[in-house]
Amino acid sequence: MRKPKLSKVVIAIAITKLLTSCGGTIPEESSSEAISSNKAFSVEEILEMVAAENDITRTLYTKGIVGAGKKQGLKFDEDWQDDEVEAGPLPALFLRGISSDIRKSSVPLGLYLGSDFPINASNKLEGKQAELFKKIKANQKPQFFYDESQKLHTAMFADMAMAAPCVNCHNDHKNTTKKDWKLGDVMGATTWQYPSDSLSYKEAIGVLNAYRNGTKAVYNAYLAEIANFKNSKKPNIGKLWPSKGFNLPTAEVFIDSVRKLTSYKSLEVLVKKGAPVASN
Amino acid sequence: MFNKNPLRRRQYIGSLIGIGIGLLIFIILPQKAAEDFLSLGPMNTGHEGLSCNACHTDAKGNVMQQLQANIAHTFGARKKEVDFGTQNVDNNKCLECHDRPNDRHPTHRFLEPKFKDAIAKINATECETCHREHNDTRVVLADANFCVNCHYDLEVKNDPIDVPHSQLIANEQWSTCLQCHDFHGNHVYKTAEKIKDTIPLTKIQDYLAGGSDPFAQKKKHLPLSEEEWKKVKSKYKK
Repeated sequence: MRKPKLSKVVIAIAITKLLTSCGGTIPEESSSEAISSNKAFSVEEILEMVAAENDITRTLYTKGIVGAGKKQGLKFDEDWQDDEVEAGPLPALFLRGISSDIRKSSVPLGLYLGSDFPINASNKLEGKQAELFKKIKANQKPQFFYDESQKLHTAMFADMAMAAPCVNCHNDHKNTTKKDWKLGDVMGATTWQYPSDSLSYKEAIGVLNAYRNGTKAVYNAYLAEIANFKNSKKPNIGKLWPSKGFNLPTAEVFIDSVRKLTSYKSLEVLVKKGAPVASN
Repeated sequence: MFNKNPLRRRQYIGSLIGIGIGLLIFIILPQKAAEDFLSLGPMNTGHEGLSCNACHTDAKGNVMQQLQANIAHTFGARKKEVDFGTQNVDNNKCLECHDRPNDRHPTHRFLEPKFKDAIAKINATECETCHREHNDTRVVLADANFCVNCHYDLEVKNDPIDVPHSQLIANEQWSTCLQCHDFHGNHVYKTAEKIKDTIPLTKIQDYLAGGSDPFAQKKKHLPLSEEEWKKVKSKYKK
């Protein structure tokens, strides 16, 4: 066999070197892969944490803004973003708005709301979700599954009738499919999805931030809608809540109240699991 | 030098022609005027004046780095491929100009597991399923009856229209949906209450094919123009 010439070998090595290592590299894009070490949390823990924040946020919005606001004459509507409608988002739409805003961020978190008796048929749970919702209705415990087709870790949490306006509005709504909701009922479920089975400390904070930023964005969108009211009276926007008159809190005041109610629990989760583990 | 071997002259002339053509390509093709020539096909309605690089933005890194990253990926030394030359044009790119808070059917909505069967029929999670670019149209779907994929069991309470939705569905008249309902919900208009007053199907079909807008001229949100998009881009590019 003829030996390859030395020059050819040198050229081959040079080309290989050039194609593989010269000129620096492009960093891996996904943070979840870049920081694969230090996965401190399971996806279940983080989704439970953010779902708990969601429960508190929505209860505050439903009770403090929608419920109290309606008594003051504020209007809330499914079509609140339509041009001729001068109203705020109903709680389900508030969640839908948060979900949309999360999608605009780089955090790969999915959030959906569904029920077996939804007002809007597009929110009816189907397939695997409907199956698991039966269990949630029975024991109110979260359900987790891996969605093979999308390769996403999926969690479902009970969406309870926590405040009177949930029950009253759903029972009285002209398109309701169930008229006997009562406080404490499991009215539906939130479905959350995330691509990896574990999260680093940074990723966990990312999930929380995406949710919180979503809340702020939707609330700000509501205030922007009010600013464009032409025929309806505009509430005073400041430090006061609708329970104290024809007012609405600013986004900062609203978000601050949400954080006061949620942060203790969330921080507990993050600190307990996020602290570096000492190796012996 | 041509005296040594007459073939050299041919080589020399050939090389000059080759370099000349190469230079011409290098100078002419990147010109704005050459964009039509490079384009895969005529742009869709509303995108006519866009520059190629409004959507086909440069990929990260230089060509050598992109090449290396993809070779590394091929041999398992890297988890993800990188875009080569220009970035992949995906939903995010479309939404940089077209994102609207009032979108009735945002693409991400269809990522929910319950839509698995529907998106197997029509992948509504991607803008380009309906709006594939370079086709001189608005919507590339052949029929305007795609609503059936999700709304097949629709029940409408307090039905406002003279021919009830239940009847339209029983008759499988799925092409009538768009005669009242604008898919993305951005037009400002009032829907008709009698079927005879709705927008005729031919006008809808004409609209989907790139014709005039039969819903309304008024829209709640307008997409960013290329100039506005550039301003937003430069504002956040630090």
